[in-house]
Amino acid sequence: MRLQTARSCVSAVVAVALATTLAACNQPVSDNQSGDGEDTIELAEFPDRPYWGDTHLHTDNSVDAFGFGVRLGPEAALRFARGEEVTATTGGKAQLARPLDFLVIADHSDGLGATRRLYDAPRLGIVAMGDDTLLRWYDMMHESPEQSQLAIAELITAAGEGNLPEALADPERQADATKDIWGTHLTTLDQFNEPGVFTAFAGFEYTLMPDGNNLHRVVMFRDGSDRTLQVLPYPGLTTSPEGLWDYMADYAQKTGGQALAIPHNSNLSNGLMFETTMPDGSPMTADYARKRAGAEPVVEVTQIKGDSETHSFLSPNDEFAGFGDMGWELGNLPLSRKTTDDMLAGNYIREALKRGISLEQRLGVNPYAFGMIGSTDSHTSLATGDEDNFWGKHTGNEQANQQRALQPQNLGTRVGRFGWHYLAGGYAAAWARSNTRAEIFDAFKRREVYATTGPRMTVRMFGGFDFSEADWDEDWVRAGYGRGVPMGGTLEDRGAVPTFMISARKDPDGANLDRVQMIKGWVDDSGNAQETIYEIAWADSDNRKLAGGKLPPIGDTVDRAKATYTNSIGAAELRTVWSDPDYREGQNAFYYLRVMEIPTPRWPLFDAVRFGITLSDDAMQDAVAQERAYTSPIWLRAAPPAIMEKP
Amino acid sequence: MSLPDWARRLAREPLVHFLIGGAALFGWFVWQGGEADPAGRSITMNRDEVAGIAAGFAQQTGRAPTDQELDRLIDAAVREEVLYREALRLGLDQDDAVVRRRLAQKMDLIAGASAQLAIPSETDLQGWLEAHPARFSEQAAYTFDQIFFAERSPADLALQSQDLAAKLETSAKNRDIPARVSAMTERELSARFGQQFLAELEHLAVSEEWQGPIPSGLGWHLVKLTKVSPGKLPALNDVRQQVEDDWRLNTSAERKAQAYQTLRDAYSIEIDR
Repeated sequence: MRLQTARSCVSAVVAVALATTLAACNQPVSDNQSGDGEDTIELAEFPDRPYWGDTHLHTDNSVDAFGFGVRLGPEAALRFARGEEVTATTGGKAQLARPLDFLVIADHSDGLGATRRLYDAPRLGIVAMGDDTLLRWYDMMHESPEQSQLAIAELITAAGEGNLPEALADPERQADATKDIWGTHLTTLDQFNEPGVFTAFAGFEYTLMPDGNNLHRVVMFRDGSDRTLQVLPYPGLTTSPEGLWDYMADYAQKTGGQALAIPHNSNLSNGLMFETTMPDGSPMTADYARKRAGAEPVVEVTQIKGDSETHSFLSPNDEFAGFGDMGWELGNLPLSRKTTDDMLAGNYIREALKRGISLEQRLGVNPYAFGMIGSTDSHTSLATGDEDNFWGKHTGNEQANQQRALQPQNLGTRVGRFGWHYLAGGYAAAWARSNTRAEIFDAFKRREVYATTGPRMTVRMFGGFDFSEADWDEDWVRAGYGRGVPMGGTLEDRGAVPTFMISARKDPDGANLDRVQMIKGWVDDSGNAQETIYEIAWADSDNRKLAGGKLPPIGDTVDRAKATYTNSIGAAELRTVWSDPDYREGQNAFYYLRVMEIPTPRWPLFDAVRFGITLSDDAMQDAVAQERAYTSPIWLRAAPPAIMEKP
Repeated sequence: MSLPDWARRLAREPLVHFLIGGAALFGWFVWQGGEADPAGRSITMNRDEVAGIAAGFAQQTGRAPTDQELDRLIDAAVREEVLYREALRLGLDQDDAVVRRRLAQKMDLIAGASAQLAIPSETDLQGWLEAHPARFSEQAAYTFDQIFFAERSPADLALQSQDLAAKLETSAKNRDIPARVSAMTERELSARFGQQFLAELEHLAVSEEWQGPIPSGLGWHLVKLTKVSPGKLPALNDVRQQVEDDWRLNTSAERKAQAYQTLRDAYSIEIDR
């Protein structure tokens, strides 16, 4: 308290009243940078390339990230994302091989900046508060990085159980400090926001976690600081998602701006993320479904803490189900409650999409009509989803920790999760007409986005009724937009067979493609939701023939001893025009693509080679994977829907 | 800000930063009063210090403490002071890894602060700008036509044929690998066609002739490269603040190390192995 620490371009400590005129980093910010980017850049006629980003990055403003040890703030995070080299907290130069096009910094709203303030406070001040838990964490944070990580694991468990010390849990008490940090943060974002080159989005993570069951959302704003300064991030621990949606609606009303929320880690929600009922167990109302659909157009399907597309229990006939499920499927976020089979349907996105069309039949509105993106959820300020450039989930497992792949995870103090269960994280691809806040946000809003588990493959999908192979010879993108809808769109069922124009091109700097699959979900005559996976385009089709709806594997070129692969198998591009062979008039359905790469090394294998460590047998078995893209679905539904408006 | 030369030189001297920082911190503690002789056995807490405790509580909790709370806080402060002094008396601060690390951290922090305060000279900044052109330059931009082929042999064949103009027309229908590229930056080229393509493109000369095919991660490209605008290094005055920020960010570790070295040099160190 005596030495108040102020965070700014000039590092803390210097409460020392040196009257220096330090030229701080007050770069002038132009109107173009501080707004939503509309009318700043010439737009392409149609979305002309996927813009790549991470919507889920934590910096030292996040309670847990700081406690885990990160000392890089938003500025370093933005520099790294736009392609510059930075020095990681635990040492080592970190740089992306390719810059990102956009970044959402999503620090936890609860206790924004609080652990940093706690850490910086003099010990007597903490003693004075008379909270033994807080004091113990304070001491642990100062003792060593390991103790600090344990303290944060305890903090997350306490947050899950609603036992946080009052000083951290109560948003009122944090208000002044939050306002300060939020304001500085928004200015920094505007400084780095450069329409046409790099987009910096304001956002925060909403961290609701009843009993440790993960109901987290990332909230993303379309606007610059002229609008976002008018609100503070909405706290999660003591509120409900409906409260969050109201907050977002109020924000829009008050400022004329827009926000959307992106649920994530449904895989750790123990069935709560995608329920068929209201949170209290009563039947879901149309009003609730409408609010949810309006606020949450997109979900995060893949990230460091596992993949939430589907689970082998739910999709027993899907040979690629279960990617990124190992370890994570055991329980909720802090592993304080086990996950049982009956919870899985509420945990995974394919099932949620099916639940959505079932619920729509009853309610007239689909609460789960969402698109899909990937992101990192990195807590190191380093937004990378690249397998050969993995900087860890948090500072305790950055590259300086060479044993990280083999260590038990300290998030969740019980056995069962190991370092190698972490994925490297994914990216969000947005089909936009240029790289601005408005264009990319609007792509999210209309769900013209897709997820990848790291590689940057280009995937287009258009749904319509009259596409044919002849379209490829013409301006097929124009045809797609003109005679159909892109991914994220909805087709009206007019009794004609839906036809899809699909093009998947490999990452220009990455691995070849194995296959493109169409995943269809629909509701059968008895009202049950079903799924089918169609193999619709694949490499080496001369030698690989469908048998019983399945393809032989593509093969595997990965050299385990060197962590290398070759593009001697697979294809650079796969495209097809596909019509649903099982179309039945009146059956509502959704269709999304899963694009599979050939097998490539995962990050633990790169670690093994780089650091000369030996992976355990089970880690080795999981050291090679087929990275993939999941597109947002196109929905087919009866028109007009039974009930559209509130009675 | 204009300073005489000797002052500018001094202002860049790590030792000076260190001394000023240390003196200021010392002054701060003296001004704060409080820290009485830790070996003594009398503890007095004046009005200001009590007010300080109350203010600390208010800062953490958002309201002033009640009388009872304040009593408790004072008791806690006294308790800590008593135990602290007795611990010193017993020498418990010696050989305690946590205490040592904390004290060392504090010194490091002072050194870090002094590193932040350093003022770069004009030469420093100009040198920094020239040493890191990629960080401040506009990117080179390329204007070209291209015809894309999935395989190499049809690309070779096409180059020998005379109807490239017609092929270009057909190619123009493919928006994902556009046939006409106008003033596209290196960054954008790399994002769309990959790093290999950019590296190959950099080797081509500007010409009205079709060249290639050059490979990319996607396939093969015949290219007619009509214009290259090289990246220009801006004048220091146009980017001064960016350069200074970048210099500060990237050299503070170095100056921190210098500050340590200054202290370290005063020690003679012997290590027997």
